[in-house]
Amino acid sequence: MELNRRQILKYAGLGLALPAASPLLSACSNDKSAGSGDGSVKFEGWDYEAALVQQNLDNFTKTSTIKVNYTPITSAQYVQKVVAEFTGGGGPDALYVYDDSLAGWVEGDYLQPLDGMAGVDEVYAAIYPGNASAMTYQGKRYGLPYYTDSNCLTYNADILAKAGITKPPASLEELEAQAVKIKNAGLLKYPIGVPAQLSDTWWSWVWALVFGSGGNMFDDQQAPIMNTTDTVVKDVFAWLQQAANKSKVIDPACLQLLPVPIDNAMKANRYAYTIGARYASRDYNDATKSKAAGKIRMALIPSLDGQVHGTVSNTRLYALAKDTEVKDNAFKLLTYLGGLDANKQPYTAKFWFLQRGLGFAYRSMATDPEITASLKKFADPAIYAHLGEIAKPRNVLGMPWYTEFETEMHKVVQGVLSNQTQPSAAVASLAQSAATLKKKYS
Amino acid sequence: MAVQAERRPLGDSAKAWALNAPAMIVIALLVAYPIAYSFWVSLQRDNLKRPRAKQFIGFDNYQALLSDQAFLSALKVSALFVLVVLGLTVVLALILALVLNERFRGRGLLLSLALLPWAMPGVVNGLMWRTIFDAKTGALNGLLTQLGLIAEYQAWLTSGTGAFLFTALAQVWNTLPFSVIILLAGLSTIPSELYDAATVDRAGAVQRFVQVTLPWLLHPLLIVLILETMNAFRAFDTIYVLTGGGPGDATTTIALLDVQTVLTFTDVGLGSAYAWVITAITLLISVGYIGLLYRKGNFEV
Repeated sequence: MELNRRQILKYAGLGLALPAASPLLSACSNDKSAGSGDGSVKFEGWDYEAALVQQNLDNFTKTSTIKVNYTPITSAQYVQKVVAEFTGGGGPDALYVYDDSLAGWVEGDYLQPLDGMAGVDEVYAAIYPGNASAMTYQGKRYGLPYYTDSNCLTYNADILAKAGITKPPASLEELEAQAVKIKNAGLLKYPIGVPAQLSDTWWSWVWALVFGSGGNMFDDQQAPIMNTTDTVVKDVFAWLQQAANKSKVIDPACLQLLPVPIDNAMKANRYAYTIGARYASRDYNDATKSKAAGKIRMALIPSLDGQVHGTVSNTRLYALAKDTEVKDNAFKLLTYLGGLDANKQPYTAKFWFLQRGLGFAYRSMATDPEITASLKKFADPAIYAHLGEIAKPRNVLGMPWYTEFETEMHKVVQGVLSNQTQPSAAVASLAQSAATLKKKYS
Repeated sequence: MAVQAERRPLGDSAKAWALNAPAMIVIALLVAYPIAYSFWVSLQRDNLKRPRAKQFIGFDNYQALLSDQAFLSALKVSALFVLVVLGLTVVLALILALVLNERFRGRGLLLSLALLPWAMPGVVNGLMWRTIFDAKTGALNGLLTQLGLIAEYQAWLTSGTGAFLFTALAQVWNTLPFSVIILLAGLSTIPSELYDAATVDRAGAVQRFVQVTLPWLLHPLLIVLILETMNAFRAFDTIYVLTGGGPGDATTTIALLDVQTVLTFTDVGLGSAYAWVITAITLLISVGYIGLLYRKGNFEV
């Protein structure tokens, strides 16, 4: 065959274009087994400590010979990206799931239940009921625990001591009185800080205050009760309004503060109290990161009467994709990450606690000497364990309208904090929003 | 040679189609198809959390907007936001363009500096202004305190009015340079003889501006109005970073509500309807601008 200049250019162009086009075409493909076929597991999670995750996965591959293709996804876009992948038909085999995404992802046919699989019953018997409940949807179990946490009152013992306060508050009234004392002593203008800028994440501190006083926003049938049978929400809102606008102990700048600036303020001794996740205390008490190291303590959430105590928990779980083609291997990975090992020990849960202080769902870990020794560096193990016992998840997580309700609640609470909305109007508005959303999704 | 002689040359029209075909295919795939598909989605009840409930509902999503309080509130906020941002942008851009149109030492440097905000992505712009407006460590608080204008640091973004105005200001800062460039280009085309003639006729500075400059700037102003209205109506990133739409609904614009509806609530059906309403509104406003201003400009720019 005789080649002329045009043909040479054509073939050269094709030769250059093919390598460039191949990855593009491959990326467009939804075939999850493409390029592997060796039983490897496609695993995705948000990008928290991706290097440590990889280290742990390498250990799994070494012991099981199952290859894992791990992709960390930026946490800010995790939900959207996973939804897009599953919608496009190319999701992972195993993945992290937020408890508040679980119901939607089950309804979306992304996940499969784990009931009947080896060791699942054992895991659910070994974890706190709140975590088991958060991983169960419509009576089926969909996950093994990654980590969990519950909210607590975090306080700076040094600032309290300077104001002559010897113990943390048990009631909201006491909390306000102590904060006023700190304020009057000239130690801090605004002793209490909570993150109250609108964002996509849940406001755990609001739920913690409500649960802390034994209240709830919804009954067991997910009907709103904050405006009818349950007066706790209204009373908590009334306290918030008073503390923000009358005694002025809650920082008005909170409305423009996200969680990280609140953490930074705690670490800089600029707030005496905040309400947030237990694991934050580890960071607050880390001398390399915090000026408040060694001074931060945790306590139960103060309640309206000072007698009842409760709190809210969240659960992050490992789940199995519904259409995975490597179910056995993916489940082995899930068991390694969230289950019990051959010695009936939660290997990875312990790994995460010791490495980064992530909360654990396994009851037995609360009495593990290695865990308690590590815990003592930043918290009182007894209070830590007690919070885990009394914590419960939000009972509306299974509702498809939950995210919209949570977003609406943020706006209402902002109105309460800025004195724009009265507590009675706030609960009425929340009840109305819940009713409208239920109707919309019915 | 014999083979080549038998080939019939393509006509101009066929050549034009052939040459434009690749670009048209790409545009059809990457632009036209997604736009048409989003309209199709807007006619569905389609929440990704409930794929089994997906169904064609015609214009129900659009009809529902009439009683959707969140939408109506966001529309009101957006309209006000467009008015404030557009007003500030046009006035400031005109002043800056007139200044930069003069010849003076350091003009090049000033021009480069004035263009800098335009190069900044919206998210970075939002982060920068968040740092400036910070209630605890913000530069604005530091400056005003040092000047003795405020006694103590303020939380600027915690009141509805404050958050709205400061967010609008941050948006103006980001988009102003583009308007300056357009107006500057318009100013550079005005023949200097017209100013000379006006000066001979004893026209003052204001008269020269009203009688000479403004008529010549009508078309560039039209472009600024159309593009800045679209920008302000679609403003999302700066607002999202600065206030997240709060406090309450004070800065929840329709674009913010749209992103939230699609990405946070995964309601792609309703979110697509929002997007089409934004498109329709900006289109109507643009047509209105053209109707009002286009025929009044006498000169090509």
